[in-house]
Amino acid sequence: MMNKNQDNLGLKKIESDSSLMYDGTAMKIVSFASLIIVLAVIFTGGVSYFITRNAIVDKLKSRDLIYIIESATAKIDGRIARARETSLLLARDPVINEWVLSGEKNEQLGKYAKDKLIDMVSSYDYVRSFVASAVTENYWDEEGQILEKMSKKNPDNRWFYKVLKSNKAVYLNINYDSERKNTYVYLNALMGDLKHPIGTAGVGLSLEDIAQEFTTYKFGESSALWLVDGKGEIHLADRVEQNGKYLNDFMPDVVVDQIVADTNSQQTQPQILEYVNEAGETIDLAYKRTESNDWKVVFQIKRSESIAVLETIKMNTVIASFIAVFMITLVFYLISRRIANPFKRALLLTQKMEQQVKERTRELAASNEKIMDSIQYARVLQESILPNPKELSEVLGAYFVLWRPRDIVGGDFFWVRHLSREKSLVALIDCTGHGVPGAFMTMAVNSALKHIIEQNHTEPARILSELNLQIKQVLHRNSQESFSDAGLDIAICAIEGHSRLNFAGAKLSLYVRRDQEIYTLAGDHKSIGYKASLENLTFSSHNWDIEVGDQFYLTTDGYLDQNGGKKNYSFGKKKFITEILAQQEVLSAQAGQFESVLQKYMGDEPQRDDITLIGFSLR
Amino acid sequence: MENLCIKQTKSTPTIQFDVVNNKLRIEGQSYPENAFRFYEPIFTWLDQYLLEVDKATVLEIYFHMPYINTSSSKCIMMLLEKMENAYQDGRKVAIQWYYNREDEMALECAEEFKEDLILPFELVALDNDE
Repeated sequence: MMNKNQDNLGLKKIESDSSLMYDGTAMKIVSFASLIIVLAVIFTGGVSYFITRNAIVDKLKSRDLIYIIESATAKIDGRIARARETSLLLARDPVINEWVLSGEKNEQLGKYAKDKLIDMVSSYDYVRSFVASAVTENYWDEEGQILEKMSKKNPDNRWFYKVLKSNKAVYLNINYDSERKNTYVYLNALMGDLKHPIGTAGVGLSLEDIAQEFTTYKFGESSALWLVDGKGEIHLADRVEQNGKYLNDFMPDVVVDQIVADTNSQQTQPQILEYVNEAGETIDLAYKRTESNDWKVVFQIKRSESIAVLETIKMNTVIASFIAVFMITLVFYLISRRIANPFKRALLLTQKMEQQVKERTRELAASNEKIMDSIQYARVLQESILPNPKELSEVLGAYFVLWRPRDIVGGDFFWVRHLSREKSLVALIDCTGHGVPGAFMTMAVNSALKHIIEQNHTEPARILSELNLQIKQVLHRNSQESFSDAGLDIAICAIEGHSRLNFAGAKLSLYVRRDQEIYTLAGDHKSIGYKASLENLTFSSHNWDIEVGDQFYLTTDGYLDQNGGKKNYSFGKKKFITEILAQQEVLSAQAGQFESVLQKYMGDEPQRDDITLIGFSLR
Repeated sequence: MENLCIKQTKSTPTIQFDVVNNKLRIEGQSYPENAFRFYEPIFTWLDQYLLEVDKATVLEIYFHMPYINTSSSKCIMMLLEKMENAYQDGRKVAIQWYYNREDEMALECAEEFKEDLILPFELVALDNDE
C-alpha cells in the first residue's frame, strides 16, 4: 500500500518536471522579440539603402560624371590647343613666309622650311605637318616633299580653298581616314594677312592617341565614352570598334537629338541627363562641348553599375539580420533560462515541500490513528470500571447518568457499591486532568476506594479522609521536589434503607429536589490527595431524611464551569438549579434534557472539562 | 531583576509582573494541558522577586481570571500561598481580584481562594463586560 503510493508520487513528480522544462510563453516572447528586431534591422537597412543610393546617384550626377566629362574634354581640348599653337608658330615663321612668297624658289629658305616640317613630326607627337602655298598651290608634307598640287577641281582639296577664305587664324579640319580607320585632326593656320593669305601651314594629329587616354575612363562594363561630331557620328570611342558609328546605334534618337541639337550657348558646363533604354535600364549620361570645335564628348553608364556597391549593402543587411536574429534568440534563451530558473526552482521546492507535508501528514495520521486506537481501547478499559446499568439501578432506583469525557477518556467517573441489603454507596469522582492522565487517576482512585471498603470504612466522611491519605501515599511517594501534583474532588453518599442518606463531599455538592425546592448539601472546600492537602483531613458529614419524591443530583464542575452564552461566562450553579427545577420528565429521561440545555448554552465553544451528571431517586 | 511578561494564549493568561512599579497582574483564562509546566517559571520568578524586593515595598497584585481549571487553580493557590507567606513575613501585599458580577462561578472560585488567606484580598465586581 505504502509502496504503491510512493510510486504514484514519483511518477507525478517526473511529469510535472518535464512540464516545467517547456515554457511556451518564453518561446513566444523570444519569437516576438526576434521578429521585432528583424523588422528593425530590415527597416534601418532599407532606409540606409535608399539614403546611400540617393547619395550615390547624387554624387554620380553632381560630381563623378562631371569630373569624367570635364577631364575627357580637357584632354581633347588641351591636345588640340597645343596643336593649334604649333600650327600658328609654323604659319607665322617669317622664314617660311618669305620662302612661300618667293614661290619656294630660294633653296636656302626652302631647306629651313623643309627641316622644320620634318622636325615637327620626328620631334613632336604629330603625325602630319604641312605647308600649302596659295602662290604655287604646292602641298609640302612632313617629309619635306611636295605631296600634291592643289586644284580647285579636286574634291579632296576643297578644304584648302575653304581655309583660305575662312578669315580665321586657325581652321580646324577633321578627316576620317577609312583606310587607316583613324581620324585625323588638322589645324590649318593662315599665313600672312588673314584677308589675303599666302597659304596655310599646320600640323595634324591622330585621335588614336586620345583614344588610348579614353580607355582610362573605363568606369564599368557598361560605361562608354565617345567623341561625336555635330551629326552624331562617333569619331572616337573607348572601344575602337565603335569608331565611325553613330550615337543613334547606342541610344534612343530623342536623346541623340537632344545632345546634337544642343549647339547654343557657350557650354562650359557639362550637361547631365538620364534616360531609360529599350531594356528598361536607367542610364546616366553626361556630355560637354569641346572648346576647340562643336564636337561633344559623351559619357554614359548604367545606373545599376554605379550603384552596384549597394548590392553589398543589401547583402550585409540580410546577413546582419540573420546574425541579429541568431544572437537575440541566443541571448533571450539564456536570459529567459536565468530568469525562469529561480521560478522553476521555487516550483520544484514547493513540490518537494508538498510531498514532505503529505508524507508527514500520512505519518501523523498513522501515528494519530495508533494513538486514537490506543485511547479507544483505554475507553473500553475505563468503561469497564464504571458500574453497569443493573448495578446502578439496584443502588439508585430510577436514575440517569450523563458521562461526557472531554477527550474519549477522562478524569471523571462514578462508582456504586452494595455494602449490605440495607446499605449502599454512590460516589462521583472528578480527578485532576482529563484525557489519558485523568483516566490513569480514575484507575488509581477506583482501586483505592475498593481497598478502603475492604478495610470496612463505610461512613462517607471517613472514607474521604482515608482516600486522601491513600492517594497522597500512592501519588506523592517520590515527588517531594517535583511539581507534579494531582488529586481529586469527590461526592459520596451512603444510602441506608430508603430512609436516610449520609453525604460527604470534597468540593462537590449534593443537590436535592424536594417538590419545587432545591437543597444543597455542600461539600467541604478541601481537595483530596494533593501535595498541599493535609494528611489528617476531616470532612463534614451531612444527613438527609429521605421522603418519597426526593430527587438527588451530583455533578462535577465540568457542567457548571462550561462557558457559553452571550457573555461567554460559566454555566453556573444558579442556572443548574433552575434547570433541575424545570425538569418535568421522569429521572431516567432527564439526561437528554440536561445535555441539550448545556449544548445550546455552549454553542460552538469547545467542552472545557470532563462532564458527569448523575440524577437518582432511590425508588 | 527583569520584568516577567508572558503573552496570553487561548488557554493561558497574560502574566505582567512589573518590578519597577511593583505591580503584578494575571489576566485571562487558565486551562493548559499541563498547568504546572506553565506556572513553574512564574513560581521561580516570584520566589526570586520576593527574595530581592525591599521589605517596605507595597506589592499590588491584580487577578482577573474568568476560568481556572482544577490543576491551574492548584497553581494559583500555590502563588497565593507564596504571597500569604510574604505577608506574614511582614511585607505589604494587597490583592485585588476582579470578576464579572454576573459570573457566579468566578466569584465562588475567588471566594474559595480568599477563604484560607489573611492577607488583604479585595473582591472587585466588574459590571461592564469587557
